Amino acid sequence: MEKPRWPPGDLVIWIFILAELLAFGIFFAAYAFTRANHVELFNTYQLTLDRNAALINTVALITSSYFVVRAVASIRQDDSRRCFHWLLAALAMGTLFLLVKSAEYHHHFSQGINLSTNTFYMFYLSLTFFHFLHVILGMVILLAVALKARRGCYSAAEHTGVETGASYWHMVDLVWMILFPLVYVMR
Amino acid sequence: MKYQSQKVAKLYFIAAIGLFVGQILFGLIIGAQYIWGDFLFPTLPFNQARAVHTNLLIVWLIFGFMGAAYYLVPEEAETDLVMPWLAKLMFWIFLAAGAATIVGYIVMPFADLAKLTQNDLFPTMGREFLEQPTITKLGIVVVALAFLANIGFTILKGRKTVINLVLLMGLTGLAVFFLFAFFNPTNIVWDKYYWWWVVHLWVEGVWELILGSILAFILIKTTGVDREVIEKWLYVIIAMTLITGIVGTGHHYYWIGTPEFWQWWGSIFSALEPIPFFMMTVFAFNMVNKRRRNHPNKAAVLWALGTAVMAFLGAGVWGFLHTLAPVNYYTHGTQITAAHGHMAFYGAYVMINLAIISYAMPLLRGREAANSNKSQVLEMWSFWLMTISIVFITLFLTAAGILQVYLQRFSDNPLPFMVVQSKIELFYVLRELTGLVFLAGLIVYVASFFVGSREPEATVEGEVVAAS
Amino acid sequence: MNEPRFLLRPCTWVYLTLLLLTFITWFVGVNHLSGRFFAFLVFGFALLKGQLIGDHFMGLRWVAGPWRWAIFIWLVLVGTLVTAAFWRTL
Repeated sequence: MEKPRWPPGDLVIWIFILAELLAFGIFFAAYAFTRANHVELFNTYQLTLDRNAALINTVALITSSYFVVRAVASIRQDDSRRCFHWLLAALAMGTLFLLVKSAEYHHHFSQGINLSTNTFYMFYLSLTFFHFLHVILGMVILLAVALKARRGCYSAAEHTGVETGASYWHMVDLVWMILFPLVYVMR
Repeated sequence: MKYQSQKVAKLYFIAAIGLFVGQILFGLIIGAQYIWGDFLFPTLPFNQARAVHTNLLIVWLIFGFMGAAYYLVPEEAETDLVMPWLAKLMFWIFLAAGAATIVGYIVMPFADLAKLTQNDLFPTMGREFLEQPTITKLGIVVVALAFLANIGFTILKGRKTVINLVLLMGLTGLAVFFLFAFFNPTNIVWDKYYWWWVVHLWVEGVWELILGSILAFILIKTTGVDREVIEKWLYVIIAMTLITGIVGTGHHYYWIGTPEFWQWWGSIFSALEPIPFFMMTVFAFNMVNKRRRNHPNKAAVLWALGTAVMAFLGAGVWGFLHTLAPVNYYTHGTQITAAHGHMAFYGAYVMINLAIISYAMPLLRGREAANSNKSQVLEMWSFWLMTISIVFITLFLTAAGILQVYLQRFSDNPLPFMVVQSKIELFYVLRELTGLVFLAGLIVYVASFFVGSREPEATVEGEVVAAS
Repeated sequence: MNEPRFLLRPCTWVYLTLLLLTFITWFVGVNHLSGRFFAFLVFGFALLKGQLIGDHFMGLRWVAGPWRWAIFIWLVLVGTLVTAAFWRTL
């Protein structure tokens, strides 16, 4: 079978994904090079982050991505009901991510930490919050796809919408895979 | 033209072009004042003439946007405008208020204008681009509300297309952010902070939505590409615009007394602002390449493609040039900014207005689809004259800016401002001469409305094209 | 189409691999293990995870032409920049 020339989902979402990846790439590089000039500061305050929360969140995102993969597989077998259920499960994992991340923010904010506290926290809060907003956007997209799937708008023959939402959600997951070691672990 | 009420757009377009001519004349005056400092002094000092130049620009662009909205909203919604009389009434109110304000700037010192309009009661005057007397600002709000009601109810009544909704979002944003023109904190940091909510969030935020939707409309009409494809592009372009543009406001917050994180936020997000403009370029060329038919209005297609390219260059590339905080540390408020301002405004907002005017005017004047070949040729000449001169104006100002940054701020022995100004005078002379070429282009543009208007319509590949 | 089944679907194997790499990263993190070896180990895992997600979850493995490499190229760029910045500080 000939391989297709285009990635799954709408091509426009892939252009959007590339733009988003560029944004995160610049952010990651800025973090890394700024850290190189403030190694002590970054190493000190990195220790105040909660790695267990980050673990839960990483697992939550990976799992939800996996559920989305299963949702796409279901619709390819013309099973919209199962597709809908997998998407709901993925959304539940996304919600878990938002809750855990909010708890982390609450912890930091209650200690009076904000964007002006120091350069490390500036980056930590900005990067993770930018990603946080992407999780929300990704969940909105998944929810829209899930509702359409429940109404039976997709089929094995035509399910570009499911693939489009899935591709975006995997991007959100992918970015976190880099963010987790970069901000929480590497020292 | 499918709906009778679209006709009101014509008034707005004519006013826009008239004010455009005024803007360029005042541009030439202040350009001359860069060379001969006392030119027309004390009758018309630089600060007042500059306010006229910039205010006329903003007002005519808004006239153009309103005209565009009155033209395309009924067509998209497939229903007549709910209150065409209100559109006409507001046109005259807006024009009268605008004209009175401009006359005020010209005939009396700014302080006298402030006194005359009772600025003391509710002071809002004097800030760059928001110089208008408070009463004018209130008038603008009334006009904007009436306009939004008219457009909004029309959209609600009719078919809801993505183009209409994005346009409505942009126009609502335009009105909402203008409200910050009334907010005038005494703390100068807060003052500047919110001032940018009008200035930046207009041109690098909501206006881009207006630009995107008008461009999408023209492309649907002239290329015949599926609406669905164009709408998808519009979605990602506006999403990217809002993500980068809103936080990108930070690139104005580097040196005004705001917290340091703005240097990061501003640098990173505004560095990404060229992306939506680049997408727009790819989008426009893609759609024209995929076109299902050749539209006889070649001039309109040229303007649309020109917008996509020049907006990317002017707003995207020239903006990126000085947007990173470490660069802006040196270039802030120099001729680099002026260079960027000229090409960005021309490329993005002047050209999109001329594009929709080019598309709609022949139809509003009773043509089936396009002007005669003769007037289109003239219009395309004006396109190249104006576009090439703006490119050269931008290049001259960029050169002046680089020299200015070096001599005044970067070299080991920095020179005083005025000394530097006299050293870079050559570039101001070149800019002024190029400005005259621009004026020539504008005259050709205006002439294109009158020349060849009795000749038969242009056709595609020899066959007469039926109604668009 | 009969694909050989290894008890689990291929995507489930990928999922389990991602989890395993994540737990190792977490282990390095909670024990504050530092230095070039550990830092680049977990960062290498991150890049590998990214490639797995791009290939299997986003489905680029089954695509021909330039898009096949979209995620890979991004990972190489980010990987190079981050490595360059971290190298001399560790």
